[in-house]
Amino acid sequence: MRSSLFFERYTLRMSTIWQSFQLMIVRGLPNTILLTLGLVVIGLVLGTLIAFAQVYGSRPLRWLCKIYEQVFRGIPILVLILIFHSGLARSFHILLPAFVSALIALALRSGAYQSQIFRGAIQSVPQGQMMAARALGMGKIKAIRYIILPQAFRLSLPPWANEFSSVLKDTSIASAISVLELTKQATLSYTRLSVVPGFGAKWTLVILLVLALIYLVLTYAGNAGLRFLEKRLRIPGFELKGKIER
Amino acid sequence: MKRAILAIFVIGLFAVSGFAQTYTVASDTTWPPFEWADTEGNLLGFDLDVMRCIAVLQGFEIDIVSYDWDIIFDDVGIGRVDIGASGATITDERELKVDFSDPYWTSDQAVLIRVDSGLNIVTALSGGAVVGAQVETTGAGFVQGLIDEGIDVVLQEYSLYPLSVIDLINGNVDAVIQDEPASQASATAEDELTICGVIKTNENFGFFVAEGDPNGLLALLNDGVAQLKDLGVYDNLVRAYMGTDITKVEAAWKASIGLLNAGNVVDFAESMADLSN
Repeated sequence: MRSSLFFERYTLRMSTIWQSFQLMIVRGLPNTILLTLGLVVIGLVLGTLIAFAQVYGSRPLRWLCKIYEQVFRGIPILVLILIFHSGLARSFHILLPAFVSALIALALRSGAYQSQIFRGAIQSVPQGQMMAARALGMGKIKAIRYIILPQAFRLSLPPWANEFSSVLKDTSIASAISVLELTKQATLSYTRLSVVPGFGAKWTLVILLVLALIYLVLTYAGNAGLRFLEKRLRIPGFELKGKIER
Repeated sequence: MKRAILAIFVIGLFAVSGFAQTYTVASDTTWPPFEWADTEGNLLGFDLDVMRCIAVLQGFEIDIVSYDWDIIFDDVGIGRVDIGASGATITDERELKVDFSDPYWTSDQAVLIRVDSGLNIVTALSGGAVVGAQVETTGAGFVQGLIDEGIDVVLQEYSLYPLSVIDLINGNVDAVIQDEPASQASATAEDELTICGVIKTNENFGFFVAEGDPNGLLALLNDGVAQLKDLGVYDNLVRAYMGTDITKVEAAWKASIGLLNAGNVVDFAESMADLSN
């Protein structure tokens, strides 16, 4: 008798956890992925442009980039998102959809971080490489394209993987402006469960653990993929040993 | 040529006649029994079904979206969403941002305690008691009012109501103050909690729209609520949602929603009330 009641309860609880998990994947994951990929790609474009401007650009250009970088690394993510969502709306009556506000804010921020990664990578390529290339008669642009960039790209992969993991988790802040992503969906699940007889507020932890697990798996998968990429693209003998001269 | 024009005109007429104005409704769907999301992602709740019934009666369509409580007044106020239906008490502070409809629900605050704490309504709110409440709710405002009057009570705020309930179970707070229906829902779901008393704050919930009511919705909403009351739909929805088992209500809704989609408001409400109890 007793064991069958236990079994019933157990299956009910397991199926509820499974149900919540499914909901998070089906209704929450798409936006999380879309946001992450979108912001990373936009950030990539921005980051490369700014990195270039900072390494090879004129003084005023470098100064502008410095400002951009300081501003978008120095403001908390939530504040940035709110500026684009509520700030623009209230002050200039520019109404952006929540997803777009989050995307722009996060992309600008990621662009700032990525520009630092690329700048560091470019500057880590030994100066001698550029000198040798010029000595061989290559123009500056050719040298950058065929000598500097390939090396800088490989050097930037490890820190870039870091940035990718970071922004994936940052997307959860978008839940604050009602974007239906993983965290928001989890919130809908546990607020409901808290009043379901047989469950209750304690189940908040269970749901949040499932959510955390999902983020963990995503981060791990992302990192694993990037590590694979790193290995595939590795140039034997070329590792970052430190700058030869400056 | 003439036939073509006639054909286009007739098709156009059909298209226009099938066209109904759609309004977006924002709701913080984390607050049973007024609004929540079920396991299939359907958004239900007392507020939402009242809105749906009004929409059917008044002949417009609504698109309900889950919204965050923190920005719901801001966003409805500037017109990003057309209507707010989220168990919002009408307060002067909120009136500055949005325009409210006539009250459609009167709520009181209930005080939730642990069964074994031995507190009563007075001791739960004084003598150094720590009271949990959701940020920016009237419950939190009530406790703050007590503090302002010099009563020895501590207010602990939470971003979401279930978090305060967890702390109550854990013993981190002595009581939780929240609107009566939500408190009842918690008391039903949790064996160790009970309501020690109800404070008659006589708060009124209202639907809200952008300042100045640019779409002229308030008249429709007020008239809609009045009609629902006349038809008995309002009472049936109350019977369906207040003090009932959430899983029963969800099942009732799935069984009854077809009636509402077909335009039958009265039968929908009756079915909801019957199947939820």
